[in-house]
Amino acid sequence: MDVGTFVIGLSLSALRSATPLLYVLLGETLSERAGVVNLGVEGQMLAGALTGFAVTVLTGQPWIGCLAGAMAGLLLSSLHALLSLGLRANMFASGVAVWMLGGGLTAYFGTGFVGQKIDGFSGLKLKGLERFPVLNEAMAQITPTVLLVLFVWPLVGFWLYRARAGLTWRTVGESAETAAGLGLNPIRIRLQAILAGGALSGLGGAALSVDYTRNWIEWMTAGRGLIAVGLVIAARWNPFLALPAALLFGGTEALTLRLQALGVNASPYLLATLPYLVCLAVLIWGTRRAHGRGGMPRDLAAVFSRTE
Amino acid sequence: MFFLALGQKPFALIFEVVKGAFGDGYSLSETLVKTAPILLCALATAMPARLGMLSVGGSGQFYAGAIGGTFVVLHFGALPGGVLLPFLLLGGAAGGAVFGVIAGWLRAQWNVNETLVTLLLNYIGALLVDFAVYGPWRDTANLGWPATPAFPDAARLPTLFGTRLHVGLLIGLALAVLLHLALTGTRWGLMLRVMKGHPKVGLWAGLHAARAALLVMALGGALAGLAGICETSGIEGRLQSGIAANYGLTGFLVAWMAKQHFLKILPYSLAMGALLSASDALQLFAGMPAASAIVLQALLFFAVFVSGRLFESKA
Repeated sequence: MDVGTFVIGLSLSALRSATPLLYVLLGETLSERAGVVNLGVEGQMLAGALTGFAVTVLTGQPWIGCLAGAMAGLLLSSLHALLSLGLRANMFASGVAVWMLGGGLTAYFGTGFVGQKIDGFSGLKLKGLERFPVLNEAMAQITPTVLLVLFVWPLVGFWLYRARAGLTWRTVGESAETAAGLGLNPIRIRLQAILAGGALSGLGGAALSVDYTRNWIEWMTAGRGLIAVGLVIAARWNPFLALPAALLFGGTEALTLRLQALGVNASPYLLATLPYLVCLAVLIWGTRRAHGRGGMPRDLAAVFSRTE
Repeated sequence: MFFLALGQKPFALIFEVVKGAFGDGYSLSETLVKTAPILLCALATAMPARLGMLSVGGSGQFYAGAIGGTFVVLHFGALPGGVLLPFLLLGGAAGGAVFGVIAGWLRAQWNVNETLVTLLLNYIGALLVDFAVYGPWRDTANLGWPATPAFPDAARLPTLFGTRLHVGLLIGLALAVLLHLALTGTRWGLMLRVMKGHPKVGLWAGLHAARAALLVMALGGALAGLAGICETSGIEGRLQSGIAANYGLTGFLVAWMAKQHFLKILPYSLAMGALLSASDALQLFAGMPAASAIVLQALLFFAVFVSGRLFESKA
């Protein structure tokens, strides 16, 4: 295998591995831009992963599965909205509660789906590509959920920076007080932002189980949702920077898998800590940048350094 | 309601839970066995909360403590029990404290959110234990069973009343009371209260916020680390993966139920220990997976928020 093939293969599998995370990352960016932290994305991802997988098993239609997964994520995120907005509970603690509920419910109802297999999406086929096996193999990594996220990614950025509604969301995130003074309803806008984030994280979970792993295991997200919350900070709440941030995680994961496949003499368990360590490192880096250059929504800053 | 939806009769179920948790000597001791790590993990959440810090790193610190204590056993296992055990506990506390300090230091130095750091460390802690028991610390005599060699008897925590119950519970009890006294009665406790409620006043009074953040996170980590080594040495007798079970999050929940109050944590830990040990029993008798215990915990968490809101509006 020559270097070029290795690099292309690695970048494409990085993109594939980053895809589920990118959905969650974009969703959490939306919520946080409106001033809401949601650790429940981990549970919402699990809900989306199980629902998406189960629906795909039952209907044989991966797209319907993805849609159902997004709905499941949205439904669960409404609980976070109820607790954090309605009851004004601590946002971090409320997120942990939603995470536990999502994890517990999916572990309970998912037992029957462990070990089942699905076909997932059929890969993209381009005519004439069969003559180039390397390219052909590379294209197999570009699955429909990858294409969809590449479409959603600029859309979220456009929404936040260029659409009128996106501006109201950002206003609420900077200062709910000012927004209320402008005649906006901060609670309603935050609710919308949480639900949008919930749908995207559910979709991300479904992309993981339906398209990436093509199976269901309880707690299969293994902290991806929490990593997304950390990466939002590293991406400085900028949806356009979400792609490179997600690729950093995807690249680390893809690299560890490649290294193992190449027979590198290191414990797979130590290698598996790498994505978490990378996330920790960029979280530190991102926080330091956020203090210097800003980028963090003001109301969110109050949540992050609260001393209640 | 969750159980109604699953077609279980709730009252019969509650009766079963109580019977399963306190019905006889054995079930009572099993309840207390579960109470010990929950109590320590809840204290581990409540300690940083006294400075307004939110640590969800119970399970990572639990694993780090188990690693720290096991390190002591593997290197100084030949010492007699009277000497070894204190070092074992110290190793456990130190291991957990390291994980706590990482988050505390990052917070103090660069204002990195400690909640996210502790959450990430949970996964790293679990993987480090996996690494140790599949790698350098693996006992080759255990064919296919990833674990360290069994601890020598001198490194096993003494058990009580001839059951599996170990002195970890007494350690937790003593620490809860001690911390409660320290926080209510000493200058240090007052200092934390000032810095939590009015950080600016604390600053004016010349209090060292960074030092305090490091200290409470170290203490919190040490408490969860103790839970880890007590479970390893008292129950399992060897380090193996997955030992933290769900104790970290359970402790987090208990601390919230008790409103981060050290003495109130005691009855709530007992109740949660009862719930968990009964759910183990029910798993055997009614075929209910352990996942339902987690769902029940999440619902309890929601109830905490709802009741917190009710009381707040009454006051």
